[in-house]
Amino acid sequence: MTSTLIETSIYAAISESIQAEAKRILSDGQVSTIVGYAAARRKGSAQPIVITDASDAQKLIFTPACVNNLAVYLTKAKKDIPKKGKIGIVVKGCDMKALTGLMGESQLKREELYLIGVPCAGVLASTFAPSQELTDESLAPKCTECDAHLPTGCDFVPTETPLTPELEKKYAVEIARLEALTPAERWAYWKEQFAKCIKCYACRQVCPFCFCEQCLCDRNKPQMVETTPRPAGNTAWHIVRAMHLAGRCAGCAECERVCPMDIPLNLLNRKMAKELKELYDHEAGFEVTEKGPLTMFNEKDDQSFIK
Amino acid sequence: MSRIGVFICHCGENISRTVDVERVARDVGRLPGVAFSTDYKYMCSDPGQTLLKKTIQEQKLSHVVVAACSPRMHEKTFRKAVEAAGLNPFLCEMANIREHCSWVHENIEEATIKATEIVGMMVERVKKNRVLPTITVPVTKRSLVIGGGIAGIQAALDIADAGHEVVLVEREPSIGGHMAQLSETFPTLDCSQCIMTPKMVDVANHPKIKLYTYSEIELVEGYIGNFQVTIKKKARSVNEDTCTGCGVCMTKCPQKKIPNKFDQNIGMRTAIYIPFPQAVPNTPVIDRENCTKFKTGKCGVCQKVCGPGAVDFEQEDSLIVEPVGAIVVATGFDLYTIDEKPKGSPIKGYGEFGHGKIADVIDGMTFERLASASGPTGGKILRPSDGKEPKQIVFIQCIGSRAREKGISYCSKVCCMYTAKHTMLYHHKVHGGQAYVFFMDARTPGKSYDEFWRRAIEEEDAVYIRGMVSRLYQKGDKIVVMGSDIAVGVQVEIEADMVVLATAIQPQKGADLLAQKLGISYDKYNFYSEAHAKLRPVECATAGIYLAGACQGPKDIPETVSQASAAAAKVMTLFSKDQLEREPIVARVREAGCVGCFACKKVCAYGAVEEKEIRDRQGNLIKVVAYVNPGVCAGCGTCQATCPSKCVELDGYTDEQVIAMIEAL
Repeated sequence: MTSTLIETSIYAAISESIQAEAKRILSDGQVSTIVGYAAARRKGSAQPIVITDASDAQKLIFTPACVNNLAVYLTKAKKDIPKKGKIGIVVKGCDMKALTGLMGESQLKREELYLIGVPCAGVLASTFAPSQELTDESLAPKCTECDAHLPTGCDFVPTETPLTPELEKKYAVEIARLEALTPAERWAYWKEQFAKCIKCYACRQVCPFCFCEQCLCDRNKPQMVETTPRPAGNTAWHIVRAMHLAGRCAGCAECERVCPMDIPLNLLNRKMAKELKELYDHEAGFEVTEKGPLTMFNEKDDQSFIK
Repeated sequence: MSRIGVFICHCGENISRTVDVERVARDVGRLPGVAFSTDYKYMCSDPGQTLLKKTIQEQKLSHVVVAACSPRMHEKTFRKAVEAAGLNPFLCEMANIREHCSWVHENIEEATIKATEIVGMMVERVKKNRVLPTITVPVTKRSLVIGGGIAGIQAALDIADAGHEVVLVEREPSIGGHMAQLSETFPTLDCSQCIMTPKMVDVANHPKIKLYTYSEIELVEGYIGNFQVTIKKKARSVNEDTCTGCGVCMTKCPQKKIPNKFDQNIGMRTAIYIPFPQAVPNTPVIDRENCTKFKTGKCGVCQKVCGPGAVDFEQEDSLIVEPVGAIVVATGFDLYTIDEKPKGSPIKGYGEFGHGKIADVIDGMTFERLASASGPTGGKILRPSDGKEPKQIVFIQCIGSRAREKGISYCSKVCCMYTAKHTMLYHHKVHGGQAYVFFMDARTPGKSYDEFWRRAIEEEDAVYIRGMVSRLYQKGDKIVVMGSDIAVGVQVEIEADMVVLATAIQPQKGADLLAQKLGISYDKYNFYSEAHAKLRPVECATAGIYLAGACQGPKDIPETVSQASAAAAKVMTLFSKDQLEREPIVARVREAGCVGCFACKKVCAYGAVEEKEIRDRQGNLIKVVAYVNPGVCAGCGTCQATCPSKCVELDGYTDEQVIAMIEAL
């Protein structure tokens, strides 16, 4: 079977537009800082960059290797970014959803941001080399389910429109497979996955929604979650993570990308999102909402679980 | 090191029958930190409490665990005793070994082990208890009363007579409510207006009552003792300060055929109007929807004839903020309009009875207006269709009430009595007329109530038929009523001149919206819920808000007045102190860890969570964190459960305490 090529030729024009816009807004002082992507050492690779000088604008790029969700730099890492005036940020549609969520949770203010949106056909899966061309196989699994190729509500978006072929939705297929299992089989599957966890907390550190100054899993008086990587504590941690992200996670899949043990973390997040869609018709990340489905009570909420 | 004292109660034999209390005392005595343990027949008795106090002093106890009944029963008792002995009351905990153990088990060995574990948990918990100081909040000694019917009037007068200021808010142009519409009242047949209007005048003249008519509650902020209420004063188009109430404007108004809601739309009024002659305040209001000046820009006769120049077409709605310490909700009821079936409503109408289609099928309140001396017919019972006197009249009870299949399962309580009254009024006014009543049951508990009903049948010739009506239809100028008499087991058909339906009592429209503004709970019918059906019947679960009258459920006038006075008494109790003491079981934010996501604020049902700015010494904003106002916090713990980083703790129920209990097991 031959793989389908994903058209990314527009990325060069997009990079140019980003550079021009970044130069303009830095020069005229609209923003003090811009968070974006720059080329990294390995061929074709990219890394996050924070620039404050208009002359650095030409460093900004957008390529299939620009996988990171930069929203995280505005939360925990924001202390490193000088908080003078507006901050510019390069966002893909999926990253935009995280920003939207953070605005709803009082972590960011829209008027303090300058959003440079990126029309995106998809980015590379973490298991492929950065120089690899983008095909339906090398595409990040989250991109097969993308419903935000063009970010909305940005201050600036290049005019190019990505071509996005209809692809098999990888998480939906996997969720369907797991849902078909018996509870015992499903439990066995997750037990095996969680057993791999080494409690490095990379998933937590990369997640824009894990913005707590002190994670409850680091508390020791009283200790809420066992810290050593043993099965019980691992399971507790992953359940806490899944529950805390339910109704908030919009699926940037950074947790899954950074997991050194290849635990399918976004699969768990997508399943929670599916539940919330079915129960409360809620989808995270599309609009700034004051209350999420799990922090409010509506009389029409499903109450069949109360017996 | 803690010096904990443990006291095991026998509760007579309630506990000691199934739990070996001596063994429990001996076993828990060995737990680390326990300095003293004993058992006693009745810990809550005077000698029991004396034992507790004496031991605290003799043994220099630091904490106390009383193992007895539910804390809901005696926690206050023992905490008081502990306080009297010089310890902070919140260093005392109760272990429930009665409801949770002895009452639900039979095996002595197992129950004893369980009791020991329950006490052991509380010993571990009490070690983590902190000294909690009582919270005091200042009290604004002014009260808001919402609704100017008999309930609101009575509550306002009682509170004002006690010397406290009252702000009375009424939605309609005049106070008086439904009682002002009634003709005579059961069971004494005294004229409603005659007993009502003096009270209305008292309200208007009372120096302590500030009256806002034609006004609504816009916003309620704050908490017990310290509410800020925003009142929307709708544009009356007449200046209340200069209007003398002469009424010339009303006589000159060219719009004279507007149905008057006060007369159930069978009487007419002008566009500038007072709803009834005894209205308080006696200041007209312009109904802008029907006024020629507002519709076409021409006319303005009222302004031309007004001597003091009080008519003001430019007047606008205004917002007024009133600080109050307590709120009495007395918004009353509305009648079930049976012909209407609002879409999506669980309540189904009674299309088959022709209400709204057949002119002479009226509801009870319309009959009241016909029978009232101040009503549109001057007190004569006349048919709305042709103005003839009805010679045969049929009353049908339980319209809407007690009909689960139609959406309302409760009894409206007053209809049996007012229908009996209606038959009497009819008998007095229409000589030679005959009244029939279809009824399911006659419910007449109350002082002199059953006698009154018997009198309607035995002395006033009303014919009571036990059974319901299946259909009504117009035949010529008669209304054919088809029903069944289940006592005899026959079908009945009556050719009536008029039919009166005793329609169900419902809460006011929009009662749910007001409840949401106030933060009080309501049932599925929108009746407001009391804190406890038996022991706290006039208080809402939300502190500082009280209920009076039919907004809580169907009530007659004596009950309404009693409840209004009771609510007033509760307000006065609150106002008897300058500072309000509150139990310090409130949430507290660990500001160092709070990241300001305000999930706690979103879930707080009491509006207790506020945003607080943390600044450095130079005044630079460092971060915004959550702050729980201890005056408002009800101690429910929802914020504690919601906080993702566990930075909210409920004093008295901290995670540390609960985990200590779990770990003791």
